[in-house]
Order: sequence, then C-alpha cells, then structure tokens
Amino acid sequence: MGNLLTKGRAITRYAVAQVRHERGRTVLVVLAIALAVLSVTLLASLGLGVLQTGEERFDQAGQDVWVTSDSVELTATGSIENPIADSHQLAADLENRDDVKTASPLAFHAVYVGTELDDLELVTGVGVPGTRNTNTVDGDGFSEGDSHYANGTYDGPMSQEIVIDPQTAELFDVGVGDTIYVGTSRMNAAEREFEIVGISTQYSQFLGTSTVTMPISELQEIAGTTGTDRATYVTITAADGVDRDAVSEDIQQSYPEYDVRTSEEQLESMLSEYLLVLASGATLVVLALLAGIALTMNTLVLVAVQQREELAALRAIGLSRGLIAGVVGGQGFTLGMLGGVLGILATPVAVLALDHLAASLVGFENLLRTPPIIYATGLLIAVGIGTLGAVVAGWRAAQYAHVDKLHSRQ
Amino acid sequence: MTALEEISFNIHAGEIVGLVGPSGSGKSTALHVVGGLLEPIEGTVDVLGTDLTELSSSQRTRLRRDHIGFIFQQFHLLPALSARDNVALPLVERGVGRRERQQRATELLEQVGLGDRLSHRPGELSGGEQQRVAIARALVTDPELVLADEPTGELDTETGAQVLELLVDVAEDQTVLVATHDERAIDVTDRVLRLLDGEITTDE
Repeated sequence: MGNLLTKGRAITRYAVAQVRHERGRTVLVVLAIALAVLSVTLLASLGLGVLQTGEERFDQAGQDVWVTSDSVELTATGSIENPIADSHQLAADLENRDDVKTASPLAFHAVYVGTELDDLELVTGVGVPGTRNTNTVDGDGFSEGDSHYANGTYDGPMSQEIVIDPQTAELFDVGVGDTIYVGTSRMNAAEREFEIVGISTQYSQFLGTSTVTMPISELQEIAGTTGTDRATYVTITAADGVDRDAVSEDIQQSYPEYDVRTSEEQLESMLSEYLLVLASGATLVVLALLAGIALTMNTLVLVAVQQREELAALRAIGLSRGLIAGVVGGQGFTLGMLGGVLGILATPVAVLALDHLAASLVGFENLLRTPPIIYATGLLIAVGIGTLGAVVAGWRAAQYAHVDKLHSRQ
Repeated sequence: MTALEEISFNIHAGEIVGLVGPSGSGKSTALHVVGGLLEPIEGTVDVLGTDLTELSSSQRTRLRRDHIGFIFQQFHLLPALSARDNVALPLVERGVGRRERQQRATELLEQVGLGDRLSHRPGELSGGEQQRVAIARALVTDPELVLADEPTGELDTETGAQVLELLVDVAEDQTVLVATHDERAIDVTDRVLRLLDGEITTDE
C-alpha cells in the first residue's frame, strides 16, 4: 500500500513536470478542455435558466390553466396566431363553472407603435380584459378596462389607454401621460393615438420581447378581429382548494376542440417548439466535447510517440509498463484538471456576459442559472476527458515501452 | 538473418569487459541477450546464476530492475525531468520514498561530477553531461552488472574517452560489459572480446 502510494506520488510529480515542460502544448490542450467544459456549463445553465425563468413567469402570471387551440407560435412578422374565436363568450362560460374562479381571454397581435409616423417599430401587442393588474412600475394602469367590448357589440367607448414596457418607453423617450401611435400597419397607425397610462415589464418579461398592453377589445378593434372575437388564450385561475390538474382535465373533456394545459404543461409545450434550437445547442456541445477529447488524446499520444525510445529505455532498465503508462497517462489527468478548473473559473464570467446579452436582446434578467451541480458537471467532464486521454496515451506508451523500439545508431 | 551464432563467453564478477567490433557485428544484440531484452533461439544465458531463457518476460524485467544497469548510445533521458529526477526514476519502481530517491540520485550525480547540474534538464546539458547522467541512472540501483551499448557513440573523441574513464571509475564494484566500436575501450577494460559477423574472433 505504502509502495503504491510512493509510486502514485512519483507518477503525479513526473506527470506535472512533463505538463510544465511543454508549455505551448499544455496551454493549447488546457484551452480546448476548458472550452468543452465551458460549453457544457453554459448550455446547462441556459437550459436550466430557461426552465426556471419560464416557471417563474408562469407563476407570476398567476394563472393555473391555459386554454388554447393548436400550437401557439410567432409568425414571421412577430405576431402570434390567435386561434380562439368567441373568446369573451368562452371565458364567460368557463367562469360560470364551480371549479373556476376567473377566466379571461388574452390576445397577441403584432402592432406598429411610435411617436412619429415615419418612425414606427413593430412590437407585440397584448390584449387583456378588464382593468387587470398589469403590475405597473409607473402610472396607474387602465381606468376603463374592456369597456369597448360592450357585451360583444364593440360599440362601447375606446379608452385609448396603453401600458408599455420600459424598453419601448426608452426607445421612443416617452412616459406616462404621453401619447403614442398604434396600428397593425404603418398606414393605419396614424388613425389612433393611445395615451400611456403605465410602464410595466409583466408581458415583455413573459414573452421575452418588447410589448405594449391594451384592453383586448381595443386590440381586436385595431387588428380587425372583433367579428370573430379572437384571442390566443383563455387563462383560468382555479377556485380555492381545487386541484388545478383536475380542473384542467375536466375542462379538456368538456371542450375537446381546445388544448387545455396546466401552467407546467403549457411551458413544456412552448419549449418543445424550440427543440431545433436546443438540438443545435446540444450538437455544438457534443462537437466541443469531441474536439476537446480528440485534441487531448492526440497530444498525449504524440508525447508517447515522440518519446518512444526513451520509454523503451525505461522498460529496458526495469520499469514496469504500468509505471511508464502512468507517467505519460498522468499528464491526461493533470491537463484535464487544469482545463476543468479554467473552464469552471470562466463560467461565471461567461454567464455574466451572456446574461447581459440576453437582457439586452430578449429582456430576461438573470436568465442563466448556475447551481453547484453545473460546476460539478463541468469538472466531471474535464476529468472524464483527461481520463480518456490518459488511458489511450498510457496504453500507447506501454506499447512503445518495448525493446524493439530501441535503436542504436551504429 | 542470424545476428549471433555459436557465441559463448564467460565474464567474472567485477570484470570490465569490452565487446568490440564494427557496425553490424552483433555486439548490441549480444548485449541485449545478456540483459534479457532479447531471447536466443537456442542455448542458455546464465546471468548472476540465473538462466534467463527459463524466465518469463516479467521475471526478466524484475531481474533487470534489481540487478542490471543499462547505458544507451543515445542516453534516452526523459526531456521534461531534471537530471536528478531522471537518475531517481529506477528507484520509483522499487517503491523508494522521494527523500531517499533524491538523496541517492544527488550522491550519484556528484560522483559523476554533475553535483552542480542537479536541476538541469537534459536539453540544458551537453552530450557528455547527458551520458554522465545516464551512467548515474544505471548505477543508482547499485546493480551487480552494468551493460553499456555504444556509450561513446554520440560523443566527440575527447568526451568519449572521459565518459569511458568515468564509467569504469564509478562502477568499480560492478561487472561492466561495454559494447563499442571504439578501439580506445581497450585502454580502460580488463578484457576485450572481438566480434565479427556474429562470432567471437578474439578473447584478449
């Protein structure tokens, strides 16, 4: 045992000496391993972050069950298909159920907004019913709510009130009390000016894009969907003490033509539409891993090839194949550990940069999540690559440690 | 092709013997057979009272580790390790602790005149110095038999002569067999076996 310990310590020392000796080579391999580790930790943090952020957003939305039809997806112009017709009626019917506390239609439509008619921006318009709390950080929110609906006649007064997200407010340099043009095309935007009654991040954070929020009937009016009363969702909060899964299943049975999902199921459904993006990410990670493994093994095998005569000489003077394999293979562990540590140290920095990027691009703050398990996985990957490199290089070294490789130049 | 044929010689303990012959005469092969690195097709090889042809590969490795020191023409030192670590390497296999390994390696390097080059890597040493490190490595386990294969082959005349002198000097308690085409080996050896085309022609 003591003998093994002595040998193990010596192998470690010699492996570290070899790694230090070939600095250029070491830097290259360590960087490759660090990159592989970093790609894994970042993708895992992103995946975890998307899941957790999605769950948090759904929790914040405070809705238990989501009713929609087919899949909800963004169209090329950034709008979202509105598949539910007669949405106010459907919401009213659902709200009459004993197991439902509230039911509200929710519509999305791409709209042009701006303070100058020749400088309009396309954002996502969200239509909400009533004077629903939009969690405004500034302003009081809607005063009239869905008054324009007027029991389906759409001849009630238009409040012309709008709540915008901070990004849009900043873009047009507007605030509460200012007015803004809103339309579904650049042409018809001139017809309507809405007064900003609040600044809120609620829907922009939920959708990850710039949004403006207005009473649903008014969004339907400017989108020209009042005839069919279209909405994207009818969202439901379950009655107190009722299991949301049971409510969801029961409504699904009563309305088989719609897709009824709990918040969790809805999140899964939305994420599944990004499978291709996730698959691309996973492919990149696999490529980074393969590159890391290939470079490490190639380098270590090269070490064995370059030193084959020295290794054969060590065999000749009585060193065992195991010890020789250990001295060469031990470098794999050392390189793996160095790469792993570097990758892990780089992770928080890269996460910070990506978080900043995500916040500026899609409006999500702290999107990437890095619990300790992410770092542990990164280290495991590094040690795995190192071990694989060590095993292959050690094996090659043991092959070379044979007297046939000894040549004297007589 | 037969490298050696009908070859037979005895070496007594403590003797310094030169195995001299031109390139291709079979002297390196003879040295490798004595060291248990090659197995003869026929015959016996008695080294230190043991018939090598009766031993397995791992038993021969153990015999080399415990009783035989090797010196090669091209030194074969690990470039990343210091002179002291290179010398100490054979002791690792024996499970000798680091402190003792370093102490023993330092003593040997001082004996070969490299006491001031302990931490130098092979790349920082001259050819003669590298071969002296190799001699120290061959002797660090205190073997009974030292086998040197063309130890001066990579060195200039003067350095070669110095290395040969040093070898017989520091290996005074060992039996030494030197395979060389360097005629000056005669000056430092007790006995010379001349080899030509795989046969011993002279024993002087």
